[in-house]
Amino acid sequence: MTQEIAATRNIHPALSESAPARFILSVTALAFLALFLLLPLTFLFTEALRKGVGAYFAAIVEPDAVAAIRLTLLTAAIAVPVNVVFGLAASWAIAKFEFKGKSLLTTFIDLPFSVSPVISGLVYVLLFGAQGFFGPWLQAHHVAIIFAVPGIVLATVFVTLPFVARELIPLMQEQGTEDEEAALSLGASGWQTFWRVTLPNAKWGLLYGVLLCNARAMGEFGAVSVVSGHIRGVTNTMPLHVEILYNEYNFVAAFAVASLLALLALVTLAAKAMLEWHYGAEIAATRH
Amino acid sequence: MEIEVRNITKRFGGFTALSDVSLSVAPGEFVALLGPSGSGKTTLLRIIAGLDFPNQGAVFFDNEDASARHVRERSVGFVFQHYALFRHMTVFENVAFGFRVKPRRARPSKSEIAERVGELLELVQMDGFADRYPSQLSGGQRQRVALARALAIEPRVLLLDEPFGALDAKVRKELRRWLRQLHNRMKLSTIFVTHDQEEALELADRVVVMNRGTIEQTGTPDEVYDQPCSPFVYEFLGNVNRLSCTVRNCKAEIWAANFEVAENCANGEMAGVAYVRPHDIEIFTGRDRLAQPALVRHVSSSGAAAFIELSVEGEPQPIEAEVSRERQRELNLHPGQAVFVAARKARVFVSRPGPA
Repeated sequence: MTQEIAATRNIHPALSESAPARFILSVTALAFLALFLLLPLTFLFTEALRKGVGAYFAAIVEPDAVAAIRLTLLTAAIAVPVNVVFGLAASWAIAKFEFKGKSLLTTFIDLPFSVSPVISGLVYVLLFGAQGFFGPWLQAHHVAIIFAVPGIVLATVFVTLPFVARELIPLMQEQGTEDEEAALSLGASGWQTFWRVTLPNAKWGLLYGVLLCNARAMGEFGAVSVVSGHIRGVTNTMPLHVEILYNEYNFVAAFAVASLLALLALVTLAAKAMLEWHYGAEIAATRH
Repeated sequence: MEIEVRNITKRFGGFTALSDVSLSVAPGEFVALLGPSGSGKTTLLRIIAGLDFPNQGAVFFDNEDASARHVRERSVGFVFQHYALFRHMTVFENVAFGFRVKPRRARPSKSEIAERVGELLELVQMDGFADRYPSQLSGGQRQRVALARALAIEPRVLLLDEPFGALDAKVRKELRRWLRQLHNRMKLSTIFVTHDQEEALELADRVVVMNRGTIEQTGTPDEVYDQPCSPFVYEFLGNVNRLSCTVRNCKAEIWAANFEVAENCANGEMAGVAYVRPHDIEIFTGRDRLAQPALVRHVSSSGAAAFIELSVEGEPQPIEAEVSRERQRELNLHPGQAVFVAARKARVFVSRPGPA
């Protein structure tokens, strides 16, 4: 018996590689990570703190910077809930019901991912801009969309549209409709079924979607840049503000504001990792 | 409660899942819908539950048309093949779900709910598991929780869709016996769907054999097993040998013996199929009466029975016979041995008019 165990120890498991192969694979992956992620991140923070902590904070509390931060937060605060509602509605419809035009809807959800953000911004300019399709009507009614906050929110909502839906559709499809049918047969109403069964089953996917959507809403540059008009203190979001500062050779301020965005990304990642670590078993259970 | 299904037809696109099916279930009856996959049995169950709706026909509960009623108003207990337990809720919360979603005025108090859930968990022998999550339970335990959850709403009828389909053989057998006892105690009208003939024959008061969207035969387990009304039921229920034969003036000769043809028979010569159960084949070592010569090809035993594979003279297919272990000891059959066989019972169907 002991001999048998000793003998099997020397045999490689079918899916294991030799030590040198494993070493080369790990080193390659880690080297790429260091070169393309870690190095720029370190550079970002060293540049931001080049003139000391005082200059760093001065750049952040400067009124235009504060306005940019406020606008970015406002945009995210509108875009993320809109996205959650749309994502839930779309994925519920796609995963749990059969209807005509389902595949068309699925394709359309992916559209913002496949179109360049600059183009999507441009579409809004063509629609709502002064020379655009609705332009004259909007001007007559004194509604400003392009080069104003509504345009920025619209562009952000468009660009982030797929995030929640894309997370939820495969999850809900995999879970099927049996749980809902069980809830209905137990006397639950449609609304109770949604709140007590469908939503809890999808909550982890929803949370991932929200995290990703939030990161993108705050970081979006292309589409927002086209519709914003770059009015300092009024229509500048954080990424746009960074660009302006950079173009003015104000590197410390540019990197300081950029570091805030980077921090946001890191916090998002950390939140995701923590959730996975803390609720690993539960997440696995909902995905089974 | 009495359930009556009247002339139900259900189509999915161009596919007819059920075609003019009628069935009635007496109060307290335990009925099995048995058939191969695609026979429409699950669709029928889902229509009774109100999870699917028929294109034609209606379902009556105690002579009251239930067609217009939503599934949540039908008070049916439905148990799914894959349990469909709410994975984010504990066993307790799963069973309590039916109470918690009641409108406020009909909802029992917290302590009442706790008491009722406790009783139900005891009933399904799952007390002590109240705080577990479904993922921490075995398949058999999950299905018992699903049953407790379905019983919590005090259903008027219990519908089970392949309840033991995802379980291994031993657990399945235990759960089967337990479900039968539970039914004897509760006397709830119960319909369950299965493709496992053994399960249907063992559990049900009445077996409904389905094939291609229609009911082939309805009867007690003994009736459908002993007197199958069609070649399909014969082939689906139990092991059987299928022999081609020639029917002459409503009689078919099988292995030197004559058998009457049951129905659809006219004088003249026709092609037929005869069905002989393995345990209805007698084996002799000497030719002591009318019998057909045969050669033993293989002998195997399982439990109390021995299975003998034979090459029977005149039959292109190998024939399977079943004898008791004792009889096998007497005969001492071994491969290569020349023997004689006769059919104790055979059922002949006319397959098409004209000579074979």
